[in-house]
Amino acid sequence: MRCVNCQRPLTQDFTLTALLSAQPLRLPRLGVRCEATFTRIDTHTACPGCGRAESPQLCADCRRWQAQGLPLLHHRALFRYDAPMRLFIQQYKGQGNYALHQAFWHLLPQPARGIAWVPVTSEPHHLQQRGFDPVLGLFAGLPLQLWLTKADTPLPQAQKKREARLATPQSFTATLPRHPAATVVLLDDLYTTGRTLYHAQTALRAAGYRGTIRSFSLIR
Amino acid sequence: MTILGMQLTAHECATVADKASVAQATAVAAARLVRGRWQCQRCGQRAFAPLPAGGGYCTACVGMSRVELGAKLWRFPSGPAPLGGPLTWHGTLTAAQAAGAQAAIESFAAGRDHLFWAVTGAGKTEMLFPLIAASLAQQQRVAVVSPRIDVVLELAPRLQAAFIGTPVAVAYGGVPWPVRDAPLTVATTHQMLRYFQHFDLMIIDEVDAFPFSQTPMLAHACQQAVRGVTVYLSATPPRALQRAAARGAIGVSTLARRFHGAPLPVPVVWRAKLPHLPHALPPIVWRLLARVQASGRRCLLFVPDTRWVAPLAAQLQANGWTATGVHASDPARLAKVAAFRQGQYDCLVTTTILERGVTIPRCAVLVLAADNAQFNWAALVQMAGRAGRAAASPDDPVWFIAQHWSWAMVVARHEIRVMNAQPVTA
Repeated sequence: MRCVNCQRPLTQDFTLTALLSAQPLRLPRLGVRCEATFTRIDTHTACPGCGRAESPQLCADCRRWQAQGLPLLHHRALFRYDAPMRLFIQQYKGQGNYALHQAFWHLLPQPARGIAWVPVTSEPHHLQQRGFDPVLGLFAGLPLQLWLTKADTPLPQAQKKREARLATPQSFTATLPRHPAATVVLLDDLYTTGRTLYHAQTALRAAGYRGTIRSFSLIR
Repeated sequence: MTILGMQLTAHECATVADKASVAQATAVAAARLVRGRWQCQRCGQRAFAPLPAGGGYCTACVGMSRVELGAKLWRFPSGPAPLGGPLTWHGTLTAAQAAGAQAAIESFAAGRDHLFWAVTGAGKTEMLFPLIAASLAQQQRVAVVSPRIDVVLELAPRLQAAFIGTPVAVAYGGVPWPVRDAPLTVATTHQMLRYFQHFDLMIIDEVDAFPFSQTPMLAHACQQAVRGVTVYLSATPPRALQRAAARGAIGVSTLARRFHGAPLPVPVVWRAKLPHLPHALPPIVWRLLARVQASGRRCLLFVPDTRWVAPLAAQLQANGWTATGVHASDPARLAKVAAFRQGQYDCLVTTTILERGVTIPRCAVLVLAADNAQFNWAALVQMAGRAGRAAASPDDPVWFIAQHWSWAMVVARHEIRVMNAQPVTA
């Protein structure tokens, strides 16, 4: 096995604890050196609303969402969006190197009962261009529930400035199963302004979902 | 932007402004089935990975716009180069250099590939000038490529200075494509993936350097980008090239002496127990470093592992040396090397990234853990070649500190001695 990022041989092996535990066995597909280039977010000091690093109090962005009458998503994220992570996203989404989609599977939360993992899917146009859905790829290690569909938008979020991102209109529609789980965790690759995830939350509520909605992303 | 002689994916074609010239391209299938497996027609590799939406893409060359199954590659017509200027370099070659250059021109005229086998510090770049001038005079396209960006950045201004009237195009990852159609191109080997049968003369500098030697894709890229002669440059050519030269399949010019005529410093091996590296340097290293300091030299300390660089540099600093460390992903790498060259540091701890293309006068070389599997014989010869490059101090010391003798160390010392034993051509 080789690291999906740098192609150097992987030397890790299962630990005894991992072998004896009831959890499914997951070996990282990303080398230790590559993983060390990314900066983890410490959840203890992150913003309780959006997972922003080093913001123990509710940050201004989250207070604004609250002021708009939206319940907070209590977002959690693994990594900061720094230069190495930008490069990774550029290779994965920009160049379309789908082989990188397994890179962070070993860091994903463990699936549990009563939780539905709902990814924020990409637009049909992007899907057709890339040949894959980046969010589905990154979280394919989890049992995903495809409740959300996204309509085509004129410009991707990545090419917009902050104000334009926040002004993006709703493009999600949700279809719920007959007995949806009590908790939904929305999944996305990147949380920047939160606009996309709050739209997803609104779409779920509009479809009649009554349970708790939280969110999780790879990067904040 | 000029797209003559390029081969582009549909996605890259969309970025080309000149739509009229896009229409002239011939389309070929981007992937072909070869013995049951898909082969990428751009990089020659058979490393396709599936996509969830169906189809697949080449994982080998995905960094330069994705090649997909069922897609097309657009190849643009090439044609002769615009007329360049004459050689404006007015230095003189030594007799050995001139003979080597002449042999290369003869190979070139005969349409035969050629190997410049010249020891480190022999003045290879200057030897290329007559060959490049001969090719440019026939309105041919010349590419000087190297696997390393550092080498490209160093070569480009030197070539431009030697051919003042000739437009020189420079291409490497992260800069926009060449705007003008230039007869002379300086590029990284990766950029050759974007060309097809475009160059009449391809000069590959440091053929045995990483990543060229470990990446068959790059050799394929250079092979398909050239329509004429390939010239290889190396102090430590791979065995396959050495054998091809020996049986006469390719021409060869050997330069066993440096431009100043002194023999190469032969590495002295010190065997020592190295259990505490990188946390504590063995006493022998401190003794050798004291000798370096006493002789008024600077020191390049090569280590086999990136993770050793910082602790060793810190240790040297704690012992009164003005030292620093560099490795491949160090953002301040170029600045630190420049500062070391100017004498702001006594000692530079480095990985093998500085094994080539660095000239520092009065510099001793110390290779820590020279028996590490990371160091092959070519790397050891190249690192030893950092010493004694200036005419003023041709006898800088080279030390290998190792726990055992490795085969690479034996070969490296042997190669240096063989070169030193060759008669000096008059």
